[in-house]
Amino acid sequence: MKKINSIYVVDDCSITLFGIKKILKSTVNYESLNTFVNGKLALDAIKNILATHQNLPDLIFLDINMPIMDGWQFLQEFIALPIKEKIQINIITSSIDSADKNNWQYYKKQTHHTILYTSKPVSKEKIEKVTKIALD
Amino acid sequence: MLRSGKTSTNNFLIRQLPKATAFVNKFMEIVYASDKWMQEFDCPNHNTLGKPINKLFQNPNKNWSQLIENAINNGLSITTKGEYVDTKGNKKWYQIKSTPWHDENENVIGTILQTKDVTKEVSDEVKLEKLQIMSEQMSDIANIGLWDYSLEKDEMTWSTKTKKIYQVEEQYCPTFLDTPNFFKIGFSRNTIYMAIDKAINQAIPFREKLQLITAKNKEIWVIISGKPIFKNKKMVGLVGTLQDIDEINSAEIKRRENEHLLRTLIDNLPLNVFIKDLESRKILVNKAEVEFCGAKNENEILGKDDFAIYGQKFAEKTRKADLKVMREHKPILGEEVSLIKQDGKSATFLTSKIPLIDEDGHSYGLVGISMDISELKRKEIELRELINITSSQNERLINFAHIVSHNLRSHSANFSMLLNFLKTEESQEEKDKILQMLISSSDNLMETLNNLNEVVDINSKQELRKEPINLKSKIDSFKEILSADIKNYNVKIINKVAGDIDLNVVPTYLHSILNNFLTNSINFRSPDRDPIIELEGVKEGKFYVLTVKDNGLGMDLKNNRDRLFGMYKTFHNNENSRGIGLYITKNQIIAMKGKVSVSSEVGIGTTFKIYFNEED
Repeated sequence: MKKINSIYVVDDCSITLFGIKKILKSTVNYESLNTFVNGKLALDAIKNILATHQNLPDLIFLDINMPIMDGWQFLQEFIALPIKEKIQINIITSSIDSADKNNWQYYKKQTHHTILYTSKPVSKEKIEKVTKIALD
Repeated sequence: MLRSGKTSTNNFLIRQLPKATAFVNKFMEIVYASDKWMQEFDCPNHNTLGKPINKLFQNPNKNWSQLIENAINNGLSITTKGEYVDTKGNKKWYQIKSTPWHDENENVIGTILQTKDVTKEVSDEVKLEKLQIMSEQMSDIANIGLWDYSLEKDEMTWSTKTKKIYQVEEQYCPTFLDTPNFFKIGFSRNTIYMAIDKAINQAIPFREKLQLITAKNKEIWVIISGKPIFKNKKMVGLVGTLQDIDEINSAEIKRRENEHLLRTLIDNLPLNVFIKDLESRKILVNKAEVEFCGAKNENEILGKDDFAIYGQKFAEKTRKADLKVMREHKPILGEEVSLIKQDGKSATFLTSKIPLIDEDGHSYGLVGISMDISELKRKEIELRELINITSSQNERLINFAHIVSHNLRSHSANFSMLLNFLKTEESQEEKDKILQMLISSSDNLMETLNNLNEVVDINSKQELRKEPINLKSKIDSFKEILSADIKNYNVKIINKVAGDIDLNVVPTYLHSILNNFLTNSINFRSPDRDPIIELEGVKEGKFYVLTVKDNGLGMDLKNNRDRLFGMYKTFHNNENSRGIGLYITKNQIIAMKGKVSVSSEVGIGTTFKIYFNEED
C-alpha cells in the first residue's frame, strides 16, 4: 500500500473527528494526521506550512458547517494560496441543501485541486474510495 | 289759320293752363303749349312752337309718337306712357293723355296733349315688382310662408310657401278657421286660438312656437306670427308669417338632450372632471370635483385657480403642467400626483390633462380627469406590508425546516456511524468509548429537540403577555448572573441605559435576549484585550433601540450576515459555537414585533442593535 504523508481533518464535531480518524487508521497508511475544529485553524496551519516550506497535506477532509470559518470560506481562501501540488479535498457533510452541491460544482471548476463531495454518515467504504483516488 | 297748323303766337289763355298741355296739329307740330309744358320740357325760349313734336324731343319715343299720330288721324282719346330724356340726361316717365282737337265744325284738327310726370309711380311699380320677387325668394329660402286675412271680406290668403308648409295643394283655398285647425290639439291649438282672438279683438300681434299637423299628417314645429293691419285707423285684417322650424327645433331638442346626457354623465362619473381656461381657472367642475375640493357647490370653485383652491406649493406644479399641455398640445395621461388636502389628509390621484384646441389650432384651455386613488394606494401599502410579513415568515419557516432537517440528519449520521463501529469493534475499551459517544450524541439530540421546541413555542404563541421591565436594572442583574465569566476574563460591562426606561416586553424573552448578546460578547472576546461591553439606548420613532457594543473578535459580515441569524450551524457542544442562541434571540425579538441589526469589523468588535417595538 502506498503511503500518504499528511492528512487534515477539519470538523467541529468531535464524534465525526473520532469516526474519520478511526476509519483512516484501519484503512490507510499515513505518516501524520491533524484535526482542526474550524476552517480558520486549518487555513492558518497551511499558511504556516507554506511560510516554513514544510510538507503540505495530501488529503483534506472538510466539513461545511463550522463556526468562525466554514468549509466554503476555507475553500475560497485555500484555492487562492500559491500551491502547485494537486491536493485532494473531500467535503464531508450532512447537508442535503442543493445550494451546497452547487457550491461544490462552482469550486471544482475554480481550481486544479481535486474536490470530492461525500455525504455523512462516513463509512469505511466511503473513506476507502476517496483515499484510493488520492493514491492513484 | 288754325287749320294751317302754323302759328307763331301762343294763345294767351292756353299759356296759363295749369297742366303741361300742348296743342298738336295733324302734321304733329306743336301749335300751342302751356307755360308749364315749356317748363317741363325745358323750352324756355318758346322755340318749340311750330316744330314737329317728334323732333322736339331729343330722344323721342317712337311708340308714343305713333300712338299720338294714330289718335289724331282717328279722332281718339288715348292715354299712354312715354319716357323723356331731358337736356341733362335725366330720364323721366310721363303719362300722356291725348284728346282730339276739334274745330267749330267738330272736325278733328289735331290733338290736345296733357302730360303728367309719373316717374315716381313707374319706379315704385318696378320696386314693388322687385320686392315681390325678393320676398318670394326670401320666403322660399328662409322657409317662411306668408298669409293674410281680410276682415272685411272674411278672406284668407296663403302664399305658395305657406301652402307648402301646410302640405296642401297649390289650388287650395284656405278659410279663416283652417289656421287654428291645423295646429296640434292641446297646447298648440289653445295657444293659436287665444293669439288670433287677441289679435282680432284687441289688435295684439303674436308670435308663437307651436306644433302643427300638416295635411299629410306630419307633425312639425313652426313659428307663426300675426299682425293687425289698419286702414284709416280701423283694423281691416291680419298679415303674418309661418316658418317651418322643425329641423332647427329638432336639432335644438337633440342638442339639449345631448347636453343633458353629457352633464349627467360628467356629474355622476366616479372621477373628478374639470375644465380650465388659459389662466388655469376652473370653468367647469363635476360633482366629484366639488366634493373633492371640500366645497358645497360648484360656484365656490368656478373661476378659481389651484392657487386659491390648494395653495401655492401644489398649484405651482399644476400650473406648470397645465401650461405645458396647452403650449405643446400634448396630453398628460395617467400621471400620479400627490397632494395634501386642506383638511390635512394626503391624497394620491391619477391625473390626465387633455388640451382643448379651437378650429384655428390654438388651445383655449384643457380638460382634466383625475381619479382619487388614495384608498387604492393605502391598500397597496397594506398589501405590500402583508407580503413582507408573509415572505419573512416564510423565510423563517424555510430556515427552521432547514435547521431541523440538517441537525437531525447530522445526529442520525453520528448514530449510524457509531453503531457501525460498535458492530465490528472487538476491543472492549473502544466499545465503551463508542458507547459513551452514543450517550453524548443522544444527549445532544435531546437538547436539540428542546431548542427546536423552544423556537416552535416562540413562533406559535398568538398572544404574548408583555410587562413593563426596567431595562437598566435588568442589565445590571446580569453582572451577577455572569459574575464567574466576568471575573475570569476581566469583563467590563458599561450600562449607559437611562434609569427611567421601562420596556414593554415579554420578561423571559428580554432575559434570554440580553443573556445571549452578553454571553456572545464574552465568548467572542479578543485574546489581545480585556472585553468591554457597552450598552446604550435611544428612542427612534416607535422603537426603543438598545445598542450592545463589544471590542471582541468581530466578524467578516460580507459572507456571514445571512448565516449569523439564520444559524445553519448549531446544536454542537462546541464551547464557542453561536449555536441556536442568535436564532432563538432573533425569533424572540420578531415575536415582540421588533427587529435586530448587526455591524462588525474583524479585530475591532461587534455591535448589535435591538429594536424594541414600543407601540405595538
